[in-house]
Amino acid sequence: MKVRRILLGVALAAVAVPLLVAQAQNPTAPAGSGGLNTGRGRGAAAPAGPAPKLANGHPDFSGVWQGGGPVGDLEQGMPKGEKIPLNAEGTRVMASRQSKDDPEANCLPTGVPRIAPYPWRMLQTPTHVFILFEGNIHSYRQIFVDGRKHPEDPDPTWYGHSVGHYEGNTLVVDTVGFNDRFWFDFRGHPHSEKLHTLERYTRTDMGSLVVETTITDPVYYSKPFTIKFTARLRPGEELMEYICQENEQDVDHIKGPAGTP
Amino acid sequence: MKKLSLAAVLTGIGLLVSGAPAGAHHSFAAEYDAAKPVTLKGVVSKIEWTNPHARFYIDVKDETGTHTWNLELASPNVLSRNGWTRRTLNIGDEIKVEGSLAKDGSKMANARVVTLASGKRVFAGSSADAEGGPAAPATGR
Repeated sequence: MKVRRILLGVALAAVAVPLLVAQAQNPTAPAGSGGLNTGRGRGAAAPAGPAPKLANGHPDFSGVWQGGGPVGDLEQGMPKGEKIPLNAEGTRVMASRQSKDDPEANCLPTGVPRIAPYPWRMLQTPTHVFILFEGNIHSYRQIFVDGRKHPEDPDPTWYGHSVGHYEGNTLVVDTVGFNDRFWFDFRGHPHSEKLHTLERYTRTDMGSLVVETTITDPVYYSKPFTIKFTARLRPGEELMEYICQENEQDVDHIKGPAGTP
Repeated sequence: MKKLSLAAVLTGIGLLVSGAPAGAHHSFAAEYDAAKPVTLKGVVSKIEWTNPHARFYIDVKDETGTHTWNLELASPNVLSRNGWTRRTLNIGDEIKVEGSLAKDGSKMANARVVTLASGKRVFAGSSADAEGGPAAPATGR
């Protein structure tokens, strides 16, 4: 049978070729069509089973994760059919943005809730939670879970001032004190220093970490809104070094208004 | 023998080809034109196993002389997760590249598929494919 012969040939080729066989991929294909971000680590089976817990009863977020936030378009995290509630000023600022100015392209941090297309790891201690990013810059977030409050008037930073606590199986992270320099996505969704994020991290099973983020910023949005993305576990994977600044050549060649993706 | 559906097998191949997510720190469409595919044949003159993208340069001969092209791959991390090493390409290799031209007209392209000196075609994990990365609808709502 013809189909079976083709399949057999294909299977043999896949086994025999040490490097991955090139498969012509359409760069304009819709997101997700390429089988990317499958959550699979280096050849490891897709993870299954219930979410693990730490000895103290808190949810265990250990492991290497991929995704969990917007990369190209914040709106992908909205409920189906719902738009981001930009106000007039937000719409104006977004329309004025040029792709070459995207901090991500310039090797600057993603801020919150944007995620770079690189893996990350969450490290929980009794007093701090750290999120270690492989890229786009090789940096980290620090979340205080020791009961402290935000400072009265924090100086603005890329990742802001984060305090967290556990609610059952969820880690709740409240962040203020952001600078206004990062973008939420390639499209250039803006925010001001008044940005306040409330993130809820819930490991719904062994391989899935749901991140719901409520964004409040009265300068550019008409009301608070909540986006939801799911990070996937990459079993068997480790973070690798990624130093974005060592050979950045793209920005000089990037043209046109910010857009997807 | 249990019958496998064509779709299932193709999905499996898709995972093999792109099991590790590609990544770009910039919008692909802002720098390269997917509607301007290019095929270049030449000799590798320089390799930069660096971030945010690994790059290699090839000398391409035509009737007007020899021109050096700057070709962008994914990051070394994405490439190594896809089975590459810094020795996959070597200076002096005669290779063929299929990719997309830079929008600004410079001798620069995003490499998608590289045919190595051995004749092997390898997926470049290029930034062209980052669009299917974590922004994929499957990870949203």
